[in-house]
Amino acid sequence: MIPQLLDGTLVLVVVALAWRALNDRDLFRGVIEFIALGLLLAMAWLRLRAPDLALAEAAVGSGLTGALILSALVRMRRREQAAAGQPAGVATGPWAKDRAKNFSRVLLGALSVAMLGTLAWAALSLPAKARGLTAEALARLPDSGVTNPVTAVLLNFRAYDTLLEIGVLLLAIVGVWALRRGEWPAADLRERPLLLSLLRWVLPLLAVGAGYLLWIGASAPGGAFQGGALLAGALVLALLSGLGRRLLRRGRLVRTGLTIGVLVFGVAGAVALGWTGGLLQYPTGQAGAWILVIEAAALVSIGLTLGLLYLGGRPGEK
Amino acid sequence: MSGLILGPLVAAALAFTFPKRGRGMAWAAAGVVGIAVLSLIRAVLGGGVQSHRVSGWGAPLGIDLRADGLAVLLLALTALIAVAVTGYAAPYLRAADSPEARHRERYFWPLLLFLWTALNALFLSRDLFNLYVALELLGFAAVALVALEGKGDALRAALRYLFVSLSASLFYLLGVALVYGQCATVDLALVAERAPRGPALTVALALMTGGLIAKAALFPLHFWLPPAHANAPAPVSALLSALVVKGAFYLLLRLWFEALPVFHTPAAARLFGMLGAAAILWGSINALTQSRLKLLIAYSTVAQLGYLFLVFPLMTGRDGRFGAWCGGLLLLGAHACAKTAMFLVAGNILRAAGHDRIRELAGIAQVLPVSAFALGLAGVSLVGLPPSGGFAGKWLLLSAGLREGQWWVAAVILVGSLLAAAYIMRVMTRAFAPAVPGTWVRPVPPIMEGTALALALVAVGMGLAGSWFVELLWLGGPWP
Repeated sequence: MIPQLLDGTLVLVVVALAWRALNDRDLFRGVIEFIALGLLLAMAWLRLRAPDLALAEAAVGSGLTGALILSALVRMRRREQAAAGQPAGVATGPWAKDRAKNFSRVLLGALSVAMLGTLAWAALSLPAKARGLTAEALARLPDSGVTNPVTAVLLNFRAYDTLLEIGVLLLAIVGVWALRRGEWPAADLRERPLLLSLLRWVLPLLAVGAGYLLWIGASAPGGAFQGGALLAGALVLALLSGLGRRLLRRGRLVRTGLTIGVLVFGVAGAVALGWTGGLLQYPTGQAGAWILVIEAAALVSIGLTLGLLYLGGRPGEK
Repeated sequence: MSGLILGPLVAAALAFTFPKRGRGMAWAAAGVVGIAVLSLIRAVLGGGVQSHRVSGWGAPLGIDLRADGLAVLLLALTALIAVAVTGYAAPYLRAADSPEARHRERYFWPLLLFLWTALNALFLSRDLFNLYVALELLGFAAVALVALEGKGDALRAALRYLFVSLSASLFYLLGVALVYGQCATVDLALVAERAPRGPALTVALALMTGGLIAKAALFPLHFWLPPAHANAPAPVSALLSALVVKGAFYLLLRLWFEALPVFHTPAAARLFGMLGAAAILWGSINALTQSRLKLLIAYSTVAQLGYLFLVFPLMTGRDGRFGAWCGGLLLLGAHACAKTAMFLVAGNILRAAGHDRIRELAGIAQVLPVSAFALGLAGVSLVGLPPSGGFAGKWLLLSAGLREGQWWVAAVILVGSLLAAAYIMRVMTRAFAPAVPGTWVRPVPPIMEGTALALALVAVGMGLAGSWFVELLWLGGPWP
């Protein structure tokens, strides 16, 4: 009884928060609601017994995305204030005065409801007991080099997907850098000794935590994506407090860090091809070591990519 | 097969890390891909369909790659166009030695290589989820390339393109989730074996098709295409019109004829046919009324994409099946080459005149004779005059339509060709008018004219190589 009650409440709160986040007149509050929504979704993943997804949702879906949207909001407000001299960032809310807009909103709402109905119809017709590929994946787990089934799928059974996904991440930052120059957060730590002494502890802890998540990913929930998200969080903290800028201005070093995930993964794929005749087919008995090397490189790239996205553009000279 | 993906992917990463080596990386990738494509063609012609189990597992647990005639053809087409664009882009991007020009060149090469990786991955993959990842890679690379122009209109068009592309991807992904729930696999061939007709797969196919139609810019979901293709830098417009929209169309072919052929009913096929016909008419009429050359070419793409979807109604019967399939794909190839040539010529004109307003373009033939000739030849293929690839493709579609008793297809093709002739003539009459002094201000490097001409020649000559196309397309196609 209690679990059902909990799940029911979770579902209701998620839907209500999503609605609020979309419709809040105060955009800042909307962003906070969005971040809370991400955390609740992570709880929902936990209830669905998907702890890996829960970790990723909390770190990337809620934390980093929230930070990105917040920084975009701050920039938007600054620019609008500079342009018009009036407070900006106030949304129109669900019911604008514009009649045409209301009409299109009603139309879109009706379409969404129809779509929801169709999806429910389709989902309810699915086989009651989902077959999936769980049994097959678990049967081959001993040959995968790791004991965490999620890592086995991501880095072995479907490693090719992950290779392309790491490529998508790199492409994302190349696209953002092509678009514009980023803005460094204005902060000076010399004025805040307390923050500095806190960061002295927190940043190394986060880095160690990322390494731990990477290592534990072989046997328990964790891995390069979760560890990378943690690393990205540490990087955002450092950026916000003005640390490490000189390092980040070293262009080629940073770019090598961003690309090393794709490069190591790609070269590993090619070497494996020459060794075993199969793209990304690790030599028998060595899969665990190969996966660790690939994931370690991916961790660096994922952390740097997600963290540097916070600048909203390429790090400029000045 | 693996080199087709690893080559451009690793080159993209290196081109980003070492910006001064971008062009060299593109040529290195072109070398690797070129060798891989040629050996793959040999293997397929000699030994039939080639497949590869990535990581050694095989479907359903792992991901399978497969190169049949269709895939090899599109891989070769992509390589041809990418090489031409690589040759063209270096002088195009270096037009001015400004910081903006250097910036654009720096990011163009990695983005081009990502686009190439995505297309190769898309053509080889047999796995619906892996295809989603390839689609994402393709979409992001395309959007970033449009935004490379950096000006207001291009940025607006890129943002709109991003929203369309992202939502379309999500629709596709939702469909994949339903397929997995129903069939417990996302492998194209295994889905075909385990596909019952029921609500789940009906909705799944509808969702995936909707998303892919938006990505392929089929009428009425074409609205994003003209601004995006017209405002991008010329070599990017060429890639987008020639290849990127075709990627989504290719995936539609795989879905409807290989994974879920049970859903290819006459009613569904007719819907595709009607949308295709509407696209031909709407795109051509709009092309006729544009005042800017690049917009004219972009609307012409909307129209030409319509022809491809005529394959769906023509594949319902037995008699015209293979002919329609070959016709559609021959048209796809001819359009890709002709459209690349046209966008490259538009880039030359933009370079020489500083604008592309058709009214003020008198004297192209005098100032840029090679470009004007390329434009004319590309036009010959778009209209469908013999011996061009456009002619052979339309001829195959026409005869399939007549064999199947679908007369309306013939009528649509004829009207579309007349309209195409009209909008091409609009440009060509200006081209041969005497030049107005002061219109043409800057010279164009010969390589930029030469690449356009080479592709136009390929488009025209493709009709002569039709039998080679047919031989390749027979291998591994959707027939018993």
